[in-house]
Amino acid sequence: MTILEATKIYKTYGNKFNKQEVLKGLDLSIEKGEFVSIMGASGSGKTTLLNVLSSIDKVSQGSIQIEGKEITRMKEKQLAEFRKTHLGFIFQEYNLLDTLTVKENILLPLTITNMSKKDAEQRFTEAAQDLGIYEIKDKYPNEISGGQKQRTSAARAFIHQPSIIFADEPTGALDSKSASDLLNKLSQLNQKHHATIIMVTHDPVAASFSSRVIFIKDGQIYTQLNKGEEPRQTFFKDVMKTQGVLGGVQYEH
Amino acid sequence: MSIKQLIFRNLKKNLKNYYLYVFALIFSVSLYFAFVTLQYDPALDKAESSMKGAAGIRTASILLVAIVSIFLLYANTIFIKRRGKEIGLFQLIGMTKSRIFRILSAENFILYFGSLLIGILIGFSVSKLMIMILFKVTQINAIATLHFSSHAFIQTLIVFAVIYLFIMLMNYIFIKRQSILALFRVLSTAELSVKKTSVWEIIIGSAGIVLILSGYYVSSKLFSGDFTTMKDLFLAMIFILVSVIIGTYLFYKGSVSFIFNIIRKRKNGYLTIHEVLSLSSIMFRMKSNAMLLTIITTVSALAIGLLSLSYISYYSAEQGAKNNVAGDFSFTNETDAARFTKSLTAEGIDFHERKIEVLQAEANIKNILDANFEELQLDPKKMNIPVISEEAVKNINVPPGETVFAGYSDLLQKFMAFKDSGKIEIKSKSQAIPLTYLGLRKEFVISGYFTNGGQPAAIVDQSDYERLQKDVDPEIQKKSSLFIGIDLKKQAQLEKANQLFQNLHFTDRDMAESRLEISNRQKQLMGLVMFIVGFLGLTFLVTSGCILYFKQMGESEEEKPNYTILRKLGFTQWDLLKGIRGKQLFSFGIPLAVGLAHSYFAVQSGWFLFGTEVWAPMIIVMVLYAALYSIFGILSVLYYKKIIREAL
Repeated sequence: MTILEATKIYKTYGNKFNKQEVLKGLDLSIEKGEFVSIMGASGSGKTTLLNVLSSIDKVSQGSIQIEGKEITRMKEKQLAEFRKTHLGFIFQEYNLLDTLTVKENILLPLTITNMSKKDAEQRFTEAAQDLGIYEIKDKYPNEISGGQKQRTSAARAFIHQPSIIFADEPTGALDSKSASDLLNKLSQLNQKHHATIIMVTHDPVAASFSSRVIFIKDGQIYTQLNKGEEPRQTFFKDVMKTQGVLGGVQYEH
Repeated sequence: MSIKQLIFRNLKKNLKNYYLYVFALIFSVSLYFAFVTLQYDPALDKAESSMKGAAGIRTASILLVAIVSIFLLYANTIFIKRRGKEIGLFQLIGMTKSRIFRILSAENFILYFGSLLIGILIGFSVSKLMIMILFKVTQINAIATLHFSSHAFIQTLIVFAVIYLFIMLMNYIFIKRQSILALFRVLSTAELSVKKTSVWEIIIGSAGIVLILSGYYVSSKLFSGDFTTMKDLFLAMIFILVSVIIGTYLFYKGSVSFIFNIIRKRKNGYLTIHEVLSLSSIMFRMKSNAMLLTIITTVSALAIGLLSLSYISYYSAEQGAKNNVAGDFSFTNETDAARFTKSLTAEGIDFHERKIEVLQAEANIKNILDANFEELQLDPKKMNIPVISEEAVKNINVPPGETVFAGYSDLLQKFMAFKDSGKIEIKSKSQAIPLTYLGLRKEFVISGYFTNGGQPAAIVDQSDYERLQKDVDPEIQKKSSLFIGIDLKKQAQLEKANQLFQNLHFTDRDMAESRLEISNRQKQLMGLVMFIVGFLGLTFLVTSGCILYFKQMGESEEEKPNYTILRKLGFTQWDLLKGIRGKQLFSFGIPLAVGLAHSYFAVQSGWFLFGTEVWAPMIIVMVLYAALYSIFGILSVLYYKKIIREAL
């Protein structure tokens, strides 16, 4: 079942005289329960793509359907409502509120639903234990490590069981141990709950945790790799190879 | 881009951001200028004949300068910190510190002296309005004229130029001290590090509330007879002041976050967006601003309290005059009264004349008093009270051997509370007349001259009165023992009658009094006090409101990333704005509420020393203050709205 369908999306910045095309008629389709990575060099438009897909930014042209709903034509209020209930977010810079404890940060998306406190508590316990942060639930963000912050952010993204989780360079600010820790948890959650995850990254190790990697170059899809039944190590080598081809600057002889 | 352009660009940007600062500057300059103009205004001489107008206004203008300079210096520290990054950038591209200082000085110079000139212009045009207000509240009939005083102009320029130099000095020190790196860090170190609520904080928080409440408690007992010597009274006042001020500080330091923390704990992590934006943010912010908030709260309490008290005096002027002068006009000798009645008849004004003979007698009223008299240095067994016959008073019938007291003020009631009934003795020269005391009537029947400024008069049966009269003690009698009260039949003619009274030029020694005249004189005096306190209070209100607004501006920019997160998570602008409204309700509401509570207890403890009516004037002052104050809260919500809109 296709959960996200983007067709011919264009995104341009600037005005009439100084136009910069970031996305140039990109097509994308993502199945339910997939763990997809989007890779590309700096400036290739991968973060813009994520922002557009997650309704934070608006497309200039084209259509995006999530669970059959066209989101490009929604009003701001509807969009906010949609994000609240259907989408989850993990960002590179954690985006936790400093004035809230870990638990309060995680429960934030649930406060707008009419969920009973008991159910909310249960969900919280489950998510926090899955991500190994239950013990630090009463600490403030500035008292915990980067890895713990990012797992808190992940727990917040999962707690309301959204249709899609968008992750923008989630491992960008983490050391390698915390990074692989987080990615393991993400892929576990992906399998356990059949959560759909779309992750933007420039780190091939991070990408190798996903089931499919989409390479973007100059605002268009360059190629795709499917993990299939391969072990992670071989998939990682494939990703590296493709990235090598993609990242190289072509010299004209 | 040349330096000149840079300066103008910065200026334009700053004007947009700091319009409120410019407004506050213009406001205070114009107020100061108007005050100084008033001081040099020839029209004020008219007012001065009856009061020390200029001296009061001069003191006020000094206080005004103090408030304004503290405000300007404080606002400047906020602004220069916010511009730390920009200054760091200038240094990075190779400008010397003195060059940066010159740029800042030039920029400030234009902003500051521009507002100064505008302020003076506005001050000049409102000075007439101010004189009109002054004449109105002091009930002086004079025509206010527009009058430009070069003296006032120069004085204003000098005073504000000095303040400008101080600001520049501060900027200079700030720039001199900072390295490039430190300038970049300025914002991140200036505010807030989130910490857990500790046991220490709980102690501080509880101590704050206990101190405030005990201060309130003592203030309510202040004049109820528990503190009777001057020394006790003085110590009690010091205690109230100290405990309330320290309590306020601890309240902001600990109590607010302590209380909010309890609420948060209750929620068990399940915070709504509303609470996220208000509770959690405020409990950390209040702590770091505790000192500032304490000062603002204390001074606003002071302003509200003084304003209430002076308004109470003003408001009670008529009632006070009524207590002091029993009748529209009162005389103590026949010739004066005859002169006055003659001119009344000549003008065709109908009146009614009362004559009451008043004897002074020593009385033992110990049995009917509640108060402890040793400390008041009064012996209730030997008190001189005025005595009059029942026949002199209309609508009263006192049987022989009994007595009714008439006329008491709230002030007296506080110090000497009378019981409902009891036995007293009135002594003539050689014998004591035992009387049964039946109760107290509120209205005064004779003037202050006979009642020693507010004691009740004993009304007795004619026979008892005659007994006393035959054997009266001449030592304690007043020069006159005849009260003549003249009441007009038509109150509309009062003004005219008062004019006639004035034309006769009675001196103070004659003890001839006009109720209207006394009430007007009181109104003049209190009107001036009210005028001065009112404008000082207004200046303080505007400056402290501005400071809170600037603080909120800073906070909103620091919290902008939070709004971005929340909006990305799918909270709408309206959700956030609702939370912000709650936050501002607390940010502005808590200092206001605490200030109002302080001034309420201050006024309650001593209002009766100032007048006879407490609720109406106090409530009017408080409502007005709260309304003006909340304007700044509303402005800050609008600013937040802009920040939230830009957040995504």
